[in-house]
Amino acid sequence: MSYDSVELGHRLITLMAAAMLVVQMLLVGQRLLPTVIALFSLQSFFLACLAAAVAYVNQAHHVYIAAGLTLLLKVIVMPLLLRRIIRQTDTQEEVEGYLNTPASILICGGLTLLGYLVAHPFSQSQGHSHGSLAVATALFLIGFFLMMNRRKAISQVVALLTAENGLFLAAIALTYGMPLIVEVGILFDLLVGVMILGILTYRIAETFESMDTSKLRRLRG
Amino acid sequence: MTLFQVLLQMVLALVLAPLINGLIRKGKALLQNRRGPGLLQPYYDLLKLWRKGTVVSRHASWIFRVTPYISFLTALMVSLMIPMITTAVPLSFFGGVIAVIYLLALGRFFVALAALDTASAFGGMGSSREMTVAAIAEPAMMLSIFSVAITAGSTNLSQVVKSTLQHQEQFLNPGHILAFAAMFIVLIAETGRIPVDNPATHLELTMIHEAMLLEYSGHYLALIEWAVALKQLVLMTLLVNIFFPVGVGSGFTAASLATGLIAFLAKLLLLALAVVLVETSNAKLRLFRVPELLSVAFILALLALASPFIF
Repeated sequence: MSYDSVELGHRLITLMAAAMLVVQMLLVGQRLLPTVIALFSLQSFFLACLAAAVAYVNQAHHVYIAAGLTLLLKVIVMPLLLRRIIRQTDTQEEVEGYLNTPASILICGGLTLLGYLVAHPFSQSQGHSHGSLAVATALFLIGFFLMMNRRKAISQVVALLTAENGLFLAAIALTYGMPLIVEVGILFDLLVGVMILGILTYRIAETFESMDTSKLRRLRG
Repeated sequence: MTLFQVLLQMVLALVLAPLINGLIRKGKALLQNRRGPGLLQPYYDLLKLWRKGTVVSRHASWIFRVTPYISFLTALMVSLMIPMITTAVPLSFFGGVIAVIYLLALGRFFVALAALDTASAFGGMGSSREMTVAAIAEPAMMLSIFSVAITAGSTNLSQVVKSTLQHQEQFLNPGHILAFAAMFIVLIAETGRIPVDNPATHLELTMIHEAMLLEYSGHYLALIEWAVALKQLVLMTLLVNIFFPVGVGSGFTAASLATGLIAFLAKLLLLALAVVLVETSNAKLRLFRVPELLSVAFILALLALASPFIF
């Protein structure tokens, strides 16, 4: 493999990480549930491309399998599951947050900077870590912020999934591919998690006639 | 040579600007299963407007009459300040990014003023909305261009394109991706495309840009429409040539001009296609949601500007 193609691979990795960050920002600004799910699917697609690029650069063939599984589960299966929950529970499609959108976008900008600052010493000691660790930290922080900020259970699930995307990105950026068994384990864990959360969300919606988690405090006989 | 250069770019900009509009309209029509007007329709529209007489309200002052010329001339000057098919720019001695942004702001300021001038209710509403949108879109545009200018080490656009051409590896720089996304949102907002404004409607509740032009007619309207098309071309050129300067020629030989022209047209075509897709696949945002979209652009641009210092 020539030097140029390695260089190109590294650039592709950085590019995909940046694209994931852009999608995350759009997610923060987005209110419609179907679009939120579509954006998550797009972000996972970029993640799968990034994993494939990592596999190519480091000649780590098992990472291709992880990329393929990401593509299958996170880009196709999980969004389908989430859409089915929306259809079943027949919810209003608008997501409300506790904070208004410009404020939450500003906070997420700050969180991204924080992510960069935290990752800075690591990237210096690591050499070629192309800032994806910074992006991963930012995705993680923003994902948790979204979980706190959103009211609807289903968009909290999506927020959790984007935080997990950040984790996966960090794992890939730092280790250039974990052992295959770990990655497969995490992915299936996540799939089962989404299924359980989906059932839970459905129950919440059935019992309380809303997916708004702030209403869970009310007692119901 | 300089005169030839000025004339070439001027003619190119003036001719190409309405064509882009025609292309976008045609693309939208095709995606909506309509035949749509021909590609040359914007030229016919301009010609028709040019031949018609103008009606000016008797309450209008000189501002109303002078605005079309200011709007057209600022747009034309800006189009001479950005590299289109060669890196050499006719007005490069005059100023860089900052002059481009402020000339665009000057044109917008006068259009908003003229809309207030006739004291019609719609005009005032239109300029208030336009200024609300511009107040956030403008800083986002500035920051995203500056983030490229910082990597290039110059605010002169022809220098920026030259240096990006030399360091092709900066294409895939994460800062540039953030800036590109921000700039694309700004393009949508500034040209009044669908999530922000609808260029094809005169429904009073929703229009932003068209509301300001309601009082104009005849060749005044033609000038303003042409200026709007020029501004759109300028923004699209900035987007394609600053971020992806592939094929921008450096010399004045026929071969380099020809490849530059072909690359430029191809890139514009791709960008127009992206705009068509965005316009067709989105619904117009409520007016109060527009600042939210633009604040996303602003934050993206801010992060783009910060990223070279943090990495």
